[in-house]
Amino acid sequence: MAFLTGAKRSQVSIAAMAMLFAMAGTARAQWLSLPLPGTPRTPDGKPNLTAPAPRTPEGKPDLSGIWHAEDNRFVDNLAGEGVDIPMLPSAAALYKHRQETLGADKPQVRCLPHGVPDAMLVSMIPFKIVQTPRETIVLYEEFNQYRQIFTDGRTLPQDPNPAWFGYSVGKWEGDTFVVDVAGFKEGTWLDNGGHPHTEALHITERYHRSNFGSLDLDVAINDPGAYPKPWKAATIHFKLLPDTELLEHLCENERDAEHLLGK
Amino acid sequence: MRTTLAVCVAAVGLFLSAGPAVAHHAFTAEFDSAKAMKVTGTITKFEWTNPHAWFYMDIKGDDGTVTNWGFEMNSPNMLLRNGWTRNSLKPGDVITVEAFGAKDGSHIGNAKAVTLTSTGQKLLAAPNQN
Repeated sequence: MAFLTGAKRSQVSIAAMAMLFAMAGTARAQWLSLPLPGTPRTPDGKPNLTAPAPRTPEGKPDLSGIWHAEDNRFVDNLAGEGVDIPMLPSAAALYKHRQETLGADKPQVRCLPHGVPDAMLVSMIPFKIVQTPRETIVLYEEFNQYRQIFTDGRTLPQDPNPAWFGYSVGKWEGDTFVVDVAGFKEGTWLDNGGHPHTEALHITERYHRSNFGSLDLDVAINDPGAYPKPWKAATIHFKLLPDTELLEHLCENERDAEHLLGK
Repeated sequence: MRTTLAVCVAAVGLFLSAGPAVAHHAFTAEFDSAKAMKVTGTITKFEWTNPHAWFYMDIKGDDGTVTNWGFEMNSPNMLLRNGWTRNSLKPGDVITVEAFGAKDGSHIGNAKAVTLTSTGQKLLAAPNQN
């Protein structure tokens, strides 16, 4: 650079700055919108979301991908709008309190996690499934959280330290991925409406990828500490977000709590 | 490039059609969907932070007094997917915000769209409406 005249030097730096700005724009586009290998495409180059579900070398469906709930129905109320799930008195009292206070003490208000399955149910916040032979990992964009579903033949731990996302083991029944989850702490809510649970909660999830762009989930709730009998949610639908990536999301600046109202 | 843009638009469309967000607190606990507002003012601060981005603006009342209001939006990630960047607003920008006011009457709102007066560009803020 030393031999450049002042004028040339400024031309070079203008060109360098222009390139930096151009690269900054490209980098953003290449992260949020980039053609990923492995995405089946229609002749016009768009992702073919109705292509068959991909399969692993072992022949199992591959659930890997970035997904989001098709709407907020289930995060609002896992049981379904207008559906009353019978509860034991202690659970019913807690649910009533949460409803009346409009969810003001929901864990997320203090940047604490959603749980299973509601961390997947906020439609505008995607999650990523990474399926490997021995474990399937779920990366939740919200709050940079994760969950591990082990498929190496282990069983659920006995009397584990209670955990926000519990402990998960999975197995295949045909093309359906069946996951058992237990070992929860009581802090999570089953949905934003406030369906409660106790440490006795045992969840069974059944995942089925019907095609490249669609993933279905059936959830069964069994918590003798809160509900007199097990209950199921209606089938939850997730859509694939093709050709994009998750973004970091840490809860760093909570300031809503002081404004939240309720009875 | 055309494909990339189409995919990008499709992804944004997906999120917009996905309905109101309930990311981390209930809209109904803080804001009132019956208190729709549309006001113009001058940006004083823009906070590009999780779990919600906020901007603050001076709004001049009919009597000439200036009040500083804060407006909540969704997370930066959701805004990025709607075409925002951390540089979309800066102090001194004159904007018009469409928002819902607070239930407790404080000077805050939940923004659903922002229009920059200088360029006419309208950015959707994907509010919590639930």
